[in-house]
Amino acid sequence: MLSIKVLGPGCSNCEKVEAHTKQALGMLQPEGGYELTKVTDPLTISEYILKTPGLVINEAVVCEGRIPDASEIMSWLANALETAEN
Amino acid sequence: MQPVTFVLDLLWAGWTGLLDYLAAHVLLCLVPAFVIAGYMSAMIPKEAITRYLGPKASRWISYPAAAVGGFVLAVCSCTILPLFAGIWKRGAGLGAAITFLFVGPAVNILAIAYTGAAIGFDFALARIVLSIIFGIGIGMLMAWLFRAEEARRAAEMQDNGMFDQTTAVPRAVWAVFLLLIAVLIVGTLQVDLLTGTWFDVRLPVEAPGGLLATLEDLSLTPQGALLILLLLLIAPVAYLGLEHVLEGFNRWTYVSMSLVALTLLLAAPQVTQGSLVVGITGRFVGEVILLVVIGTVAARSFERHQIAEWLWETWRFVKQIFPLLIVGVFLAGMGKAILPEQWVQTLAGRNTLWANLIGVLFGVFMYFPTLVEVPIARMFLDLGMHRGPLLAYLLADPELSLQSILVTGKILGRRKTAVYVVLVTIFSTLAGYIFGLALSVI
Repeated sequence: MLSIKVLGPGCSNCEKVEAHTKQALGMLQPEGGYELTKVTDPLTISEYILKTPGLVINEAVVCEGRIPDASEIMSWLANALETAEN
Repeated sequence: MQPVTFVLDLLWAGWTGLLDYLAAHVLLCLVPAFVIAGYMSAMIPKEAITRYLGPKASRWISYPAAAVGGFVLAVCSCTILPLFAGIWKRGAGLGAAITFLFVGPAVNILAIAYTGAAIGFDFALARIVLSIIFGIGIGMLMAWLFRAEEARRAAEMQDNGMFDQTTAVPRAVWAVFLLLIAVLIVGTLQVDLLTGTWFDVRLPVEAPGGLLATLEDLSLTPQGALLILLLLLIAPVAYLGLEHVLEGFNRWTYVSMSLVALTLLLAAPQVTQGSLVVGITGRFVGEVILLVVIGTVAARSFERHQIAEWLWETWRFVKQIFPLLIVGVFLAGMGKAILPEQWVQTLAGRNTLWANLIGVLFGVFMYFPTLVEVPIARMFLDLGMHRGPLLAYLLADPELSLQSILVTGKILGRRKTAVYVVLVTIFSTLAGYIFGLALSVI
């Protein structure tokens, strides 16, 4: 199962990342399901990244400090699925 | 009918307070300030600063870099805490990290610009200079106080390479950054070269008879009224053009950019009271030149998506901060009408250490959203608070909100956080006191 974390304290940037991520998930429909969490605690966020917003897939940071669009997120999700299978 | 008249008077006080602020004065400073904030957030990568904050960096570099970092990287209060936690946990010295934590909210570009326009440039300058000096001071003090722990931490810290990451920041980025700051300064500095009229232009239109008189009743000049209209116009246009700018530009995007440039130009000239003679000031000429240069350089050196990110970050800050600010100004206007001057003047009317401490304590216990502390400070100033305690309040308020103290506690641990809070309190009180003394001497 894919673990996806959106990192951000709640301002419009991390909300956009979350929206794009949901879009990407909707288009991709990953097998085995997924778990999407929003991390807002600054301490936990800082364990992954320095500059919000951030996106973490299967505990790997894929994006930091900017807002990726849905197609980018889809390709990262697809990569993560592939690596998980191997 | 007493309570009704009272409430109406109150609302009117809030309303005129609002108009006062929205007029030429504040637009001239807040508009470029938001644009600069968005620019720094979008265009300046954190690696440009964090490379100087590592444990191997010499103190002469890491402390100033932390101070600069506080200014450049920490525009949004939501970014300061994760950044602080991140750099400290990954090996930055405690001193540099603390300096960053302190300077960030204190030297926030929006707050500085607004403080300058609403209260005075002496204030804004004092805020910058004293925040940096004391930020570095507090950082060094804490690094010294906890030197044994820090030495142990440095020995244990794995070299994780975070501080070795560098990025090449193109010269155009720094150039436009400096130009934008120039726009802010040229737009707001009260200096003869800028405020003096170079030549006059008589507008080829006739003002409708009663218009000037009605505006005066509302304490507005025609220039101020036009600017407020422009501001009201920008809001929906900016929404249409910028809300989805990351997905692509549309014609409203261009319209909003032009309107923003227009507000700067409209606010710059000097309109002779009660007539339609417009004085072209040095400010106006300066702004035209700067805006043209910025437009050309940005169009040539930046890619479409970079400009989109810049616009998005600017818009995001406006959405986040401006509505609350309007409410804050309105409330401050009302507060000014209700709060008894006696109280303010007894507690903080003179520059004593005690009065400064009260200013700091007020800042700690009263929570105001970003930027709202400035109109509140203005209100106190008008009610008779001395400028010393006022500065103490303005320094302490963004630093010591209950929320940031709690989170800092989780990051640093309770002992260090307690020391930090005490140091900030002492230094803010001192800073205000010194500022008050300096004012009476100059």
